[in-house]
Amino acid sequence: MEQHSEAFLDNASKALKNGEQAQRRDRITSLASQIRAAAVERFEEFDGLKHHIKKIRQHSLDNLDYYLSQFEKEAVHNGSQVHFARNSEDLNSLVLDICQQHDARRVAKGKSIVTEETGLNSFLQSAGLSVMETDLGEYIIQQAGETSSHIVSPALHKSANEIRELFQQKHDLGARELRETSDLVVEARDVLREHFLQAEVGIIGANALIAENGYSMLVTNEGNGDLCANLPRVLIICTTIDRVLPLAEDATAMSRLLARSATGQLQSCYTSFYSGPRREGEIDGPLETHFVLLDNKRSNILSSDYREILECMRCGACLNHCPIYNSVGGQAYGSVHSGPIGSVLTPLLTSLEHSHLLPNACTSCGRCAAVCPAEIPLPDLLRDLRHEEGIKKLSAPRWRYGLKLHSWLARHPSIYQTLAAISIRILYQLGRKRGGFSKLPFASGWTSQRDFPVPQERTFTQLYKAKMKQSNER
Amino acid sequence: MSGSARSEIFAHLREAGRGESEENIQRERLSLGSASAPAPPATEICQAFILNVLKNQGSVACVNNRAEAVQAIAHYLYPHFHNYRLVTGNDPRLAAMPWRDAGVLPRFGSLEAGEPVALSFARLGVVETGAAVTWTSKANPAANNFLPEHHIVLVDKNDLVPTMEKAWERIHHALEKTGRPRGINFIAGPSSTADIEGELIYGAHGPHRWHVVLLGDVPVDAQNIARAAQRNQC
Repeated sequence: MEQHSEAFLDNASKALKNGEQAQRRDRITSLASQIRAAAVERFEEFDGLKHHIKKIRQHSLDNLDYYLSQFEKEAVHNGSQVHFARNSEDLNSLVLDICQQHDARRVAKGKSIVTEETGLNSFLQSAGLSVMETDLGEYIIQQAGETSSHIVSPALHKSANEIRELFQQKHDLGARELRETSDLVVEARDVLREHFLQAEVGIIGANALIAENGYSMLVTNEGNGDLCANLPRVLIICTTIDRVLPLAEDATAMSRLLARSATGQLQSCYTSFYSGPRREGEIDGPLETHFVLLDNKRSNILSSDYREILECMRCGACLNHCPIYNSVGGQAYGSVHSGPIGSVLTPLLTSLEHSHLLPNACTSCGRCAAVCPAEIPLPDLLRDLRHEEGIKKLSAPRWRYGLKLHSWLARHPSIYQTLAAISIRILYQLGRKRGGFSKLPFASGWTSQRDFPVPQERTFTQLYKAKMKQSNER
Repeated sequence: MSGSARSEIFAHLREAGRGESEENIQRERLSLGSASAPAPPATEICQAFILNVLKNQGSVACVNNRAEAVQAIAHYLYPHFHNYRLVTGNDPRLAAMPWRDAGVLPRFGSLEAGEPVALSFARLGVVETGAAVTWTSKANPAANNFLPEHHIVLVDKNDLVPTMEKAWERIHHALEKTGRPRGINFIAGPSSTADIEGELIYGAHGPHRWHVVLLGDVPVDAQNIARAAQRNQC
């Protein structure tokens, strides 16, 4: 999996300077958060449903070998072909083989984060295939040569103006001006409609696999995934081995949480279940349907302390509620997966050595855990990764020594309290006349955006002790 | 490659798994029961379904019988297209409808370029989500559900189910006789996107209008809700 998380701090600094993008991000994620809150409030049993799905997911992961094998059996019974991929290379080669067997030249792709993880597009393109992303957001960033900035809205970082300019460069517009957002949507629709009708292979992802009947579940609002699944003569469904749920009703029960958490809907416009080729007498649909099921370290995660991360349903709520994500945006993470979920998943799917900065992209505010419909304890997992980072000595020495010093002080409260009292007193003396500090040693990042307030003369512990002494004397 | 990959992956999973017997696994799943569904927006089933269809930005017409259904479809078609043409699958239930009485000209088959409107007969309507359920077959080409600019869906009141759990019960029962289809689709509204600056636009790839014709003995209150909404939408 390609990732550039080493550059997180530089990327974040650059992103913080782009005020227009930050404002747009803030507006859209705040709106998504409000819509989610309203949908959750209307559904009185939301917490009960969360607990139920948690149990189902745990049960599925506890017995994943059984359910995956049941899924395979049923999918084959439906006429599907099921393939297994250990890693990105396996998945990419399997998909290319299928395309080549059918002399395919054009591929229409629905949104599939799994194939972004494996870098499938560039692999197929280097073999001479034309690959077109068909989700509107994915299409925009593909045309712009950029990476996704949000799991649900990949082009969230781009303004309508930027998208208009992009289409002016890439499309033959003639006299059309594309003034309104709806004009931009129609333009993309027309271009992509042609591609849907010409593509020989459709590739989609899956939100779940159903063991009892061998179907995949795909949840979309645009319907592009359904066009990919129904129009080309070959369908390839790429997903990961951990997506299996026991029953069809488990998948739709999960979609209740997913739709409300992502977009506040009762159900996304299209919730579709696919398995097998066109049946006898049908006039449309693929002649072959393939499932390519990727492991890519997930079976290792399953036996690790991080297994709960596999219960993620990719709703994006943790991104929308994360102060770090909202400040720096998804592209700063340098990985397919961004936000709190990405900061846990990226180190596990690649290596902590290359992405140890990401688990530090956290203020431990806990909002991600509070809104996660899969009840994943994201702040705890991030803390555990930071702990591993410390043990492996991956962070800069000044951070490690600083934390060691802090840890020593925290274990010696009397020295801590004395030093705190002295430094607070000094800060008070220095600052009481001017009311705040515009510059402070070791805190230039903090003071670059706002003044540091002048503390009270005495610390809380000093005041508490004084008060206790007073009441004892009485 | 896939064969050895399969054995390797399953070996890892077996190591990580609990190694329970099939019987124990199934018993455990059974003991977990079913999920809770949201309360419907109204106690009467038609009213609740209509309210959720409207919430999904669909429009609704209520009709008592097939003759009225054809009339309602004609009333929908003319203002939008100035003609009475539509495409529909080779569904015997649709072929038997009195199309000529209302002057509607159906073409039976799969939607082709230049044809803006298709009609499907839903297998089920799900009250909880305001969704129509269809599945692929000779009688229901997938293109008719996903490619038109306007998608009209006929839903029989007798096919309304309260929740998605009940929908699966009905689907599994129906498929016991026919075998499993290639695709099962729960459709809840016109195709939409908010990928450009969060602005919600209908008709991203598929239909930008979604019209439900609810067929059967629909209570007057429910009919009034549908009518009032239609007046507002007009």
